[in-house]
Amino acid sequence: MTELHASQEAVPDSTVPGSTVPCSTVPCSTVADSAPAEEKATSTFPEDGPGGRAALSAKVPAPQTNWDPADPGGRPPQTPPVNFGWGRWAWRQLTSMRTALVLLFLLALGSIPGSLLPQQGQDPAAVQNYFTSHPALAPWLNHLGLFNVFAAPWFAAIYLLLFASLVGCVVPRTFRLAGAARTPPPRAPRNLGRLPHSASYHSALAADEAVAIAAAALGGKRFRLRRPAEGDKTYWVSAEKGYLREAGNLLFHLALLGVLVSIAIGGLFGYKANKLMIEGGSFSNTVSALDEFHPGRLVTGSDLAPFSITLKGFSANYYTSGESRGQPSSFDARISYSSSPGAPAKPYDLRINQPLNVDSLKVYLIGHGYAPEFTVTDQSGKVVYDEATPFIPANTGTFESDGVVKVPDASPTQLGFIGVFVPTAVSVNGVLESAFPAPELPAVSLLGYEGNLGINSGIPQSVYQLDTTAMTQVTAKPFLLQPGQSFTLPGGRGKITFTGYKQWVSLAITYDPGQVPALVCGILALAGLLLSFLVRRRRVFVRAAGTEEGSVVTVGGLARTDAGGGFEDEFAELVAQLRAAHNEGHSVGPTEQQSEA
Amino acid sequence: MLVSVNQTFASISGDFLMTALLIYSLAVVAFAGDFAFGRPRRAAASRVRAERVTQLATVGAGPSGDGPLPPVGESLPAAPVSTWQAIGEAGSWVRAALGLSALGAIAHLVAVVTRGLAVGRAPWGNMYEFITALTCIAAIFFLYVMVRYRAWSLGVFVMGAVVLALGLAETLIYTAAGPLVPALQSYWLSIHVTAMTLATGIFFVAAVLGILYLVVERYRARVAAGKADPGNGLLARIPSAEQLDKLTYRTVIFGFPVWTFGVIAGAIWADQAWGRYWGWDPVETWAFITWVLYAAYLHARATAGWRGTRAHIIQLLGFASLVTNMLVVQVFITGMHSYAGVN
Amino acid sequence: MPSRLVTTVKGRKRAAVSLAAVAAVLLAGGLWAAQASGGTPNGETYVDGNPSAVLYDTGHRALVPDFSGTTLAGVPLRLATYRGTVVVLNFWGSWCAPCRSEGETLAALSGRYAHAGVSFIGVDENDTPTNAEAFEQGFGIKYPSLNDPSASIAQAVSSAVLISSPPTTLVIDRTGHVAGAIFGTATYSVLNTMISKAMTGKAGA
Repeated sequence: MTELHASQEAVPDSTVPGSTVPCSTVPCSTVADSAPAEEKATSTFPEDGPGGRAALSAKVPAPQTNWDPADPGGRPPQTPPVNFGWGRWAWRQLTSMRTALVLLFLLALGSIPGSLLPQQGQDPAAVQNYFTSHPALAPWLNHLGLFNVFAAPWFAAIYLLLFASLVGCVVPRTFRLAGAARTPPPRAPRNLGRLPHSASYHSALAADEAVAIAAAALGGKRFRLRRPAEGDKTYWVSAEKGYLREAGNLLFHLALLGVLVSIAIGGLFGYKANKLMIEGGSFSNTVSALDEFHPGRLVTGSDLAPFSITLKGFSANYYTSGESRGQPSSFDARISYSSSPGAPAKPYDLRINQPLNVDSLKVYLIGHGYAPEFTVTDQSGKVVYDEATPFIPANTGTFESDGVVKVPDASPTQLGFIGVFVPTAVSVNGVLESAFPAPELPAVSLLGYEGNLGINSGIPQSVYQLDTTAMTQVTAKPFLLQPGQSFTLPGGRGKITFTGYKQWVSLAITYDPGQVPALVCGILALAGLLLSFLVRRRRVFVRAAGTEEGSVVTVGGLARTDAGGGFEDEFAELVAQLRAAHNEGHSVGPTEQQSEA
Repeated sequence: MLVSVNQTFASISGDFLMTALLIYSLAVVAFAGDFAFGRPRRAAASRVRAERVTQLATVGAGPSGDGPLPPVGESLPAAPVSTWQAIGEAGSWVRAALGLSALGAIAHLVAVVTRGLAVGRAPWGNMYEFITALTCIAAIFFLYVMVRYRAWSLGVFVMGAVVLALGLAETLIYTAAGPLVPALQSYWLSIHVTAMTLATGIFFVAAVLGILYLVVERYRARVAAGKADPGNGLLARIPSAEQLDKLTYRTVIFGFPVWTFGVIAGAIWADQAWGRYWGWDPVETWAFITWVLYAAYLHARATAGWRGTRAHIIQLLGFASLVTNMLVVQVFITGMHSYAGVN
Repeated sequence: MPSRLVTTVKGRKRAAVSLAAVAAVLLAGGLWAAQASGGTPNGETYVDGNPSAVLYDTGHRALVPDFSGTTLAGVPLRLATYRGTVVVLNFWGSWCAPCRSEGETLAALSGRYAHAGVSFIGVDENDTPTNAEAFEQGFGIKYPSLNDPSASIAQAVSSAVLISSPPTTLVIDRTGHVAGAIFGTATYSVLNTMISKAMTGKAGA
């Protein structure tokens, strides 16, 4: 029965006749974890579980001497030896499939709050709003890190453990694959009839010729072959194919690791920045000019590429009729840029989906809005303010926008205005609203204040919000201005003129050196995935036994996790081809020539 | 770029979709008829198993047949039953249902294509179009699976689900044909959303099969415990739990790489449009959750004690997260992905 | 004979490699989370222990690149012409709250050192000339300021010392090198200390 126990050192292995459901979900490290009895204990392909992918039944122990090939039932689970170290136990637990499964669940579960609660990284204003609207709950959620889930230590722990488990499984399997790729297929079992697929037929060829032709045919199909040793009087050939499956599986998992590393590289060496630019303005890529700068951990401001951009103009087009009236049709920011000071300026049309690439950086058009221009004269008649002031759209459909004008250098007291700008003014029940996002009838409504803006104290303030705690309102109700109109504040406090409006764009500048590696690893992962799903590991055995008229040829086949189906067809086709080859070989023989048709 | 909507094509699309819905409904009735009244047959996906047939005649191997008769005792793999033959054997109810389904699928495809022609772009720019397209893919893919594996009895369930989904889309989510917002005006629309649509259609089929598996498995458990009558004719007509399990698995491994590719394509597009390839936007996060859950299903199938019912529950959780992503997250949670077009 | 996981030599090697790989992953993760921290970098001292007020030792002073522009009054100005005097270069904006809180300090110190061979130059970021002039008049600032709406001057100077958001004040010695920098609001005592140290030409101590 030694053939049935054919096992090599690297691949403890034996054919299991009659088993169509390849078994053994033995986890990567131990048999002891597997469920008892109902699970089959050994299989021909111990590396793969029935799922095929990442099943980790690595070190299946060599079969017991009292193993009965007719009994597919399980061996009792192996009891761990007495001197089991805790470290080893922990290692085995970590690299077991069950742990991987639990960690995958935790990963999915942990991501859910990151999508439902506002996140610090994406929308800090929404997080603030959440704190104000849920004053009791929010601090607790904050303690748990739920406002920054994907940067939280517990989330990192989940995926780091998952990757540790992955690496701990994948690396030994890579070695095993390398070893298995070097070892020849097992010897052909004596009784091929017990394999899941088998066929037998008669051939007029002698046994050794039949096997030689079969070997040639199989070799031509790129099977790896094993022939009997010198002096062995039996006639058989073993063929095996399909190592790419495991290779694809390993490639997939390693590529995922590569994605993680690429993300880390981007996080360390990359940066993101934001800049709001008004039409006609320009900016140089330096920290003091950026509205927001989020460097990676190893990035300093001196790593910024020294380019500069001028915004020549911005146009937003909207559909003016039909069901999509008011929907934007296109955005176009006409810029000119130079990659370093003194370099010639080049023009570019910056649009969404059409970023600017300069110096391995990318500049994106993110948003836009209106910046109404105001001139303010104070009590003494001096012009103390003259600027286009960006207003933030409250309604991205109609572009009704909110903003604030701060005049800190007005005398005798500082002045402030809270305003609402509408590109197409319309009065709805006495309330000013915008009917259309394009500036067809622009107007601004303002409320005036005087007092202490709080800006001289040195504590930074938002330029979009006015703190009126130390101010008094000077106008009883808001006043409406159209372009060119002015309003004189009561009591001779000064005058504000709405001189016109410009548009602003917000740009995102990103540098991510891990981007291309992440893409490459993603594509490799996909390739590995496809390989592991499409390729089957299969073995085919051919035996020939001499008879009076030639030989009886038996062909047996076994496919591991024939998940995609199709081995049945492949086997049938193989048998037909072998038979044809044998018959042809038969007809070439001298005794048969006269019977050729 | 201002693109005008071709109203002729738009209305043709609407008409063909209603037609498809009607024809599908009739097909479901025919499948149900086969289920209830059709010719009794083994509930087997016959190409799954190898048949061993002992044959006495030569089976077309070698030159002419004038060699000596092979002695008794040869065994060769059976020639598979051809598709037309199998359909012929399946009975008239199945033939009617298949014909109607195919007709409905053609009408459905025409509806999708004319919608695309109407708006001058790939016809999956909002929720309605997305559901219309994915049900079309689900129907065509399922028809292929059903014919390949001769799984006629699954027809009533999967096509029924298609009818339901399409009906919901028509009544609740309908959006008139219109142009895309600038952020969606990119050739990546064709790549990313196409892949997601394809994958969703495939996972849709897998989900229906998974539900069927749970039903059959529970029935089998109850029979084993003596609580149910093993002779229950209706349930015996569905493929066995094991076959459903295999079929589901093959469907999922078809859909999973497509989903993976869709996520990667989405990341590339996000980088072009928004300046970063992954930002944990709610829709991105839920696409990730879906991916992780399907990966968990694949791992569960290889883990002791997790195969079978538990694995299928995981797979259904994955589909649930996909549907949540589509119907809840995209619509109700603000993020950069809110282009569902549903108001 | 049942085999165990790590009793064979090959098995041990594999376990070792696997453990090393896992350790590498965890180490990479740890490094990623680690902060680069440390004490005072070489060649720098803090005034009163404040890391925002840095004095640079001679030999560790960066050369400020030359820049030029037109002041708010319409007069052309070039940094190189100030070589031989101590220059206080202040980046500011009328909209910037911390800049406003140091306005009086700057006015006072510029007046005090007006005839002592110390020149104050302002670089106005992100402002219109009208707003900038209103600020200067409000605080009584008499020294010239360049309007730098595109931050090109800040970009150029950042090659010497990184200029982040205003207010940032550089004290440049007679040879055109940065002797001290204040990142944030400049207080009277700190700026005064820096100016006198730059004037004496002694290394920061």
